Amino acid sequence: MVEPASGRSERARSWRRAVLAVMRRLGAVLALLAMCAILTALSDHFLTFDNVMNVFRQSAVNALLALGQLLVIVTAGIDLSVGSVLGFACVVAAYMMKAGIPAWVSALAAIAVGTALGSVNGLMLTRLRLPHPFIPTLGMMNVARGLALVISGGFPISGFPAGFRWLGAGRVAQVPAPVLVVLVVCAVLHLFLSRTTVGRDIYAIGGNKQAAVLCGIPVNSRLTLVYAISGGLAGLAAILLAGRMNSGYPLAGVGAELDSIAAVIIGGASFFGGVGTVSGTIVGALMIGVLRNGLNLLDVSSYWQSAVIGVVIVMAVWIDVVRQRSASKNTQ
Amino acid sequence: MAVVRDVSFDVRPGEVHALAGANGAGKSTLMNIVSGVLTPDSGTMFWDGSPVELKTPADGRALGISFVHQELALVPQLSVGENVFLGRHPVNRWGVAWDEIHRRTRELLAAMGHTLDPARLVKELGVAEQQLVEIARALASEARLIIMDEPTAPLSGAETTRLFGTISELRARGVSIIYITHRLPEIFQLADRVTVLRDGRHVLTCDTSAITPEELVRKMVGDAPAFVGGVQPAGRSRELFRVVGFTAAGKFEDISFDVNAGEVLGLAGLVGAGRTELIEAIFGFGTHDRGALYLDGTQIRIRSPFDAVRHGLALVPDDRKAKGLVANASVGFNLGLTSHHQFLLRPRRLRESAGRAVRDLRVTLSSLDQPVTTLSGGNQQKIVLGKWLLVGARVYFLDEPTRGIDVSAKAEIHNLIGGLARDGAGVVVVSSEIDEILGVADRILVMHRGRIAGELARANASEERIVELATGGE
Repeated sequence: MVEPASGRSERARSWRRAVLAVMRRLGAVLALLAMCAILTALSDHFLTFDNVMNVFRQSAVNALLALGQLLVIVTAGIDLSVGSVLGFACVVAAYMMKAGIPAWVSALAAIAVGTALGSVNGLMLTRLRLPHPFIPTLGMMNVARGLALVISGGFPISGFPAGFRWLGAGRVAQVPAPVLVVLVVCAVLHLFLSRTTVGRDIYAIGGNKQAAVLCGIPVNSRLTLVYAISGGLAGLAAILLAGRMNSGYPLAGVGAELDSIAAVIIGGASFFGGVGTVSGTIVGALMIGVLRNGLNLLDVSSYWQSAVIGVVIVMAVWIDVVRQRSASKNTQ
Repeated sequence: MAVVRDVSFDVRPGEVHALAGANGAGKSTLMNIVSGVLTPDSGTMFWDGSPVELKTPADGRALGISFVHQELALVPQLSVGENVFLGRHPVNRWGVAWDEIHRRTRELLAAMGHTLDPARLVKELGVAEQQLVEIARALASEARLIIMDEPTAPLSGAETTRLFGTISELRARGVSIIYITHRLPEIFQLADRVTVLRDGRHVLTCDTSAITPEELVRKMVGDAPAFVGGVQPAGRSRELFRVVGFTAAGKFEDISFDVNAGEVLGLAGLVGAGRTELIEAIFGFGTHDRGALYLDGTQIRIRSPFDAVRHGLALVPDDRKAKGLVANASVGFNLGLTSHHQFLLRPRRLRESAGRAVRDLRVTLSSLDQPVTTLSGGNQQKIVLGKWLLVGARVYFLDEPTRGIDVSAKAEIHNLIGGLARDGAGVVVVSSEIDEILGVADRILVMHRGRIAGELARANASEERIVELATGGE
């Protein structure tokens, strides 16, 4: 007698769950599309091929930093050093090219240097047992920036071979090269996070570290790897940025760590770990890029831009909190 | 000091072996040794007849020993299937084999007689289903011995029945189970044999058919001499504080009791019976669904601890370090926690009061500026209590007030409790030590699974009676 009714409510509940899951997946995408629609209405210049490519190109560096940051945040950590590591890698690559070392070796060196500094972050966290990733990465943020200034003497190093500039400024059939780089990194990271055991371990560590330890997951080496990848992606971002600017300047990426964190959080990752996707992070990075670009087109001063972006970050996370609360109510 | 000493017992294939004993008898310690979490000082373990040495939980798992903890080791944000294969994802040439994870999870659950969507997130599940996920994980790792620590503690009656069904399935498949519990009916319903520990020592191992519930209680309790309290029994006087119909779904249900001025009310029960949740809810620190509170016969509303303090309630929480003290601050600061506002801009007066409290409490220290963590456990507990004495409350709730402190400090705290009652306060003491309850309380309420199982006057309370009520025996 009770069976059919409870069966129906079970079906209704699973239907509602499915809708909520789609909402969660698409919530940020819908917000991004709404923002684009408004900007299209307000400015004739927004929805043009050149401008859209411009948004993509300008978002590329933040997207790469955010993808590294995503891995870190999924483990319930934070990497404050990505902006400074980017600056340091810029200067190292520029210095090497000035010294006559081939462009491709210099580019690889930038990635290697980023990976090395990231590994140091991870080792400081896991071997020195510093209490929270905030601390080693805050230290690295200052050290890397300081070293960048020391090496360069505080001056930008300009004038690179065309081969090096191509990654930042080149195009393949109208599509900017940095966009292609980001797409490749996205594909690799998505497969890494969803299809490899190491990737799944990262979610487990962030979701419940105790459980991860009890299940025999090598937590320390996974954490070190995550910070190394974050640093390596900052090195890759440095190549794009230096190539686009045709110069390696020591103050590149000041404050970039905060934009990358914002992109990850807007993209639906949880600061408490265990939750976060590549696609969400890209949407988050695009949201910030579109906002900057749109406000520029509308002639809003950069001072106001900063204030608007601040409001958007808080709103995005608040909407997510509300959505989660209603979701947990519905499942009870 | 040895927590567990000279214990020998064996588990047969396909056997449910109950491990019984009062709180603090050493059950969990013993099982941590068996599963490799702790290493013993001496002794040998045999697995399939040959001696083995476990250094880490991984060694235990490799042999086929799994521990289903009371605090479940699950990742709430991940799916059921993924939690079952956590740290051991099967892979194929395309990476993690999600199809296989889902198929095998479904099979494992079906083998236990359950269906659960492997793709659901663990955080959406109830406690009973989460427990099932952890048992499935044990089976996925081909466990041959599963240790379950108080598995029914968080479960409802129907869920318990289903768990028992699951356990029967496991037994039929030849899996052995060590079942830690202090609930008598479960032992007789479920277990083939039972091992009793008392004060870390092995009391007996026998077939459950060879012992009666009464005998088992006696084995668990022993012939410990009755505690001689230093507290005078106060006559029942004026009602001070009353709780009516307090309910929080899944934690405690329909709790009503009153406390008189000058009375010490003992709240006995097993760990997990809902006592801490109850008094924290009364104090406005935890939540409740229904229920009313009366002080001096007038209804009061408590939405937060701030309200509770305003009405003259005081709480000494169960976890001194986490809830009672600001660990890296000084003794003086901790004593002033409840009364800083009264001494605003008058730090000297605060120091005088704090100094007086320290002398009254007989805490020995070199300075009020000494970090509170440099004190012994007993003295720390006195500071937690002392911060309320500085403001003077009308109803005190003391949750395990003497847990983990030495005998002399214990006696002093018992004297303090008596003193509070003599001065006309109402005192509610939660304790899992039956001796303590019998020693300090004028009247005893026994809780079992979130309900009040019975009330005993001091005169007709006994250890056996309390254990019976607390374990759900009739």
